[in-house]
Amino acid sequence: MTRTGTTHRITRGGPGPAPTPRGRHGSRAALAAALAAVLALTATACGDDGSGAGGDRGAEGTGKGEITFWDNNGGVRTDVWKEIIARFEKAHPDIHVKYVGIPAESAQSKYDTAIQGGGLPDVGGVQTAMLAGIAAQGALEPLDERLEGSPLDGKLNGSMLDSVRSAGGGDRLYTVPTSANNGTLWYRTDLFRAAGLAAPTTWDRFYAAADRLTDGARNRFGFTLRGGEGSIAPALDAMYGQSGITSFWKTSAGGATTTTVNDPRNVAALEKYLGLYGKDTPEADVNNDFRKMVAQWDSGRIGMLSHNLGSYQEHLKALGPRRFRGLPNPALADGTRVQVSNPVDGLGLFRSSKNKAAAWTFIEFALSHAANSRWNRAAGAIPANTEAVGDSWVRESEATALAADALGDGSTRIVQLPYYLPDWNTVSKADNEPNLQKVLLGRESAKDFLDTLADQLDKARAEWDEQRG
Amino acid sequence: MAHAAAVPRKSPVPKPPPARARRSRTGAVPRRLPYLLIAPAGLLMLGFIAYPVLSVFYYSLRHHNPTKPWRNGFAGLGNFVTALTGDPQFLPTLGFSLRWVAAQVALQLLLGLGLALLVHQSFVGRAPARALVFSPWAVSGVLTSTIWLLLYNSQTGVTRYLADLGMGSYGTSWLSDTGTVFPAVVVAELWRGVPFFAILILADLQSVPRDLYEAAEVDGAGRLRRFLHITLPHLKDAIILSTLLRAVWEFNNVDLLYTLTGGGPAGETTTLPLRIASIAVDSHDFGYASALTTVAFVILLFGSLVYLRLSKFGGEAR
Repeated sequence: MTRTGTTHRITRGGPGPAPTPRGRHGSRAALAAALAAVLALTATACGDDGSGAGGDRGAEGTGKGEITFWDNNGGVRTDVWKEIIARFEKAHPDIHVKYVGIPAESAQSKYDTAIQGGGLPDVGGVQTAMLAGIAAQGALEPLDERLEGSPLDGKLNGSMLDSVRSAGGGDRLYTVPTSANNGTLWYRTDLFRAAGLAAPTTWDRFYAAADRLTDGARNRFGFTLRGGEGSIAPALDAMYGQSGITSFWKTSAGGATTTTVNDPRNVAALEKYLGLYGKDTPEADVNNDFRKMVAQWDSGRIGMLSHNLGSYQEHLKALGPRRFRGLPNPALADGTRVQVSNPVDGLGLFRSSKNKAAAWTFIEFALSHAANSRWNRAAGAIPANTEAVGDSWVRESEATALAADALGDGSTRIVQLPYYLPDWNTVSKADNEPNLQKVLLGRESAKDFLDTLADQLDKARAEWDEQRG
Repeated sequence: MAHAAAVPRKSPVPKPPPARARRSRTGAVPRRLPYLLIAPAGLLMLGFIAYPVLSVFYYSLRHHNPTKPWRNGFAGLGNFVTALTGDPQFLPTLGFSLRWVAAQVALQLLLGLGLALLVHQSFVGRAPARALVFSPWAVSGVLTSTIWLLLYNSQTGVTRYLADLGMGSYGTSWLSDTGTVFPAVVVAELWRGVPFFAILILADLQSVPRDLYEAAEVDGAGRLRRFLHITLPHLKDAIILSTLLRAVWEFNNVDLLYTLTGGGPAGETTTLPLRIASIAVDSHDFGYASALTTVAFVILLFGSLVYLRLSKFGGEAR
């Protein structure tokens, strides 16, 4: 004890001799080495896979080597992507694709984290709903010029290209669309037949069937709606579909642009639609996200469900092929059909990629006729490749064929939702999903709800316009 | 001993190595070596604990939304002012968080204490009974949520079978009714949380000296008096610590509520952390989310300090 203590006193106290230069140097070297080791450890722990953060410029690369691909619907689409990647690697043996499946629910936060902290992939699946946020952070490479010089030029669905351009916040193309979804009214053919009901092709038939099929005492309901997470877009879809208003924005004589969501016709339409809650729907619907809603419909006691084409496989497993059909959303009595734009899936090339040439080669392959057809067949969605739309499986899958026709034959008017507004997610999710539940529970009127929504959207639009000059 | 260190030069005994070098070597290395050895751990802790915490404080004073870069910049206390005056959801979510913590901690403690006392007794089948009591703690959060989702589902759950028996209506769920959602989520979380208290309290119960009970029994103390004057004082520190830990965990609870209700209906079960997650993930407003996180941190910090002070945690040991 004393020896060590003494030594300390001498060293600290000044009267004792200073350490030799060699000793001081040696301890500093040891300290530096320790620091370096720790920093190296830290760097490794925080390191990425070679790609960078949102601000990195990346490089064109050699067109060979490994690229990383993030699937934004991992699990659900993993098998089909692995199949396409295997075909790609066979056709391009110099390129290896590292597949990373990300659950759809966490795709947005995963991208946001990587943009801030590094680790973005070379290629990633990006849906229109999250496109504006990612593009605004400068993480995506504009693809217009690459597409112009590609064999894909002229072979991709024009309306899908317009959708992703619009969702990207301007005229630039930040993703190449792979598929489109469409609002679909799924209905139980057996229940309709037993009740002597005609297919719900119009809103009048839809409401009549919802009433007719409901028998609360026997645990039968005509319809199930989405009241929980993700409830705003389906509500807007039903609202514009009934009101027949075809534009999300209107410009006054004074030049001011405001939203149409609180137009009296929309208010009336929303009141009628949400009036189904508790009357022709289970009361439990107020908390329904899409999984709960789809699972509830697949339980077999509910007549109709409004969801997109993406749930087809689940219905098929639960109900078999002969007990249900999927139609495009109902039309008005005069045959007019209005729908809000559904998310378009696409592939983005990340600006930070160190091997953009190889990444683009993979995108081109994934959008080729065969690969795009294979992917959409598995997903039950509408292919972006126009040659793939003509494949026989599209005709054989009735819901997909009807949706493709509805979008492609000009019979359906599409109300483009403003995915490009930076505040869109705030307004349509964080701020107003609880308010829609208040309407369902009778605590707030549909008019108050839509007035609040309109006020927030107008402010968000004004701020966006101001920034764009 | 300081003198002794200076003496060797004059000593007639065989000449030791030069004193300056020896002191330097023996003085420098032992003094710095511990710091060097803990430096890696310390730096990693700085990187993974201090840096994130400090960055939250930093961003709480800024507008930071990557999708709206034109607004980014110093905000001062603006985000905190927004929370108090411009966010209609802040106070209700904070209020729900406090109600949630109070209900969970009180009920988990009472039930956990009761179960611990029960399985502390000697009876046939005690081992399987203990395993049964503790088993929910071993179930993963995802599975717990799924179990309770099914139990509360309108088609597969309790309300469906009650309706079959003529009690209540079809198509209902306790999670969708504003009158029943709170007790419903409280029960689900109790199922997961009670074993935590039972385990900790049972462990402490087993360390109470038996002779204390025997002496009290000789003195004529009944069961209740023995419990109040021997068992409870002995368990005091364990109870204080476990309630504090549980309060912090329950305040930060996200998974079960998010899965069961998504914070609904109509925001009835939205805790402050759920609101923060929504602002950060849905709105990308990391500045405001950081401010709310700082508020939550301060509440937990001061709440913990006051609780420890009032409860005189570890007082008898001192």
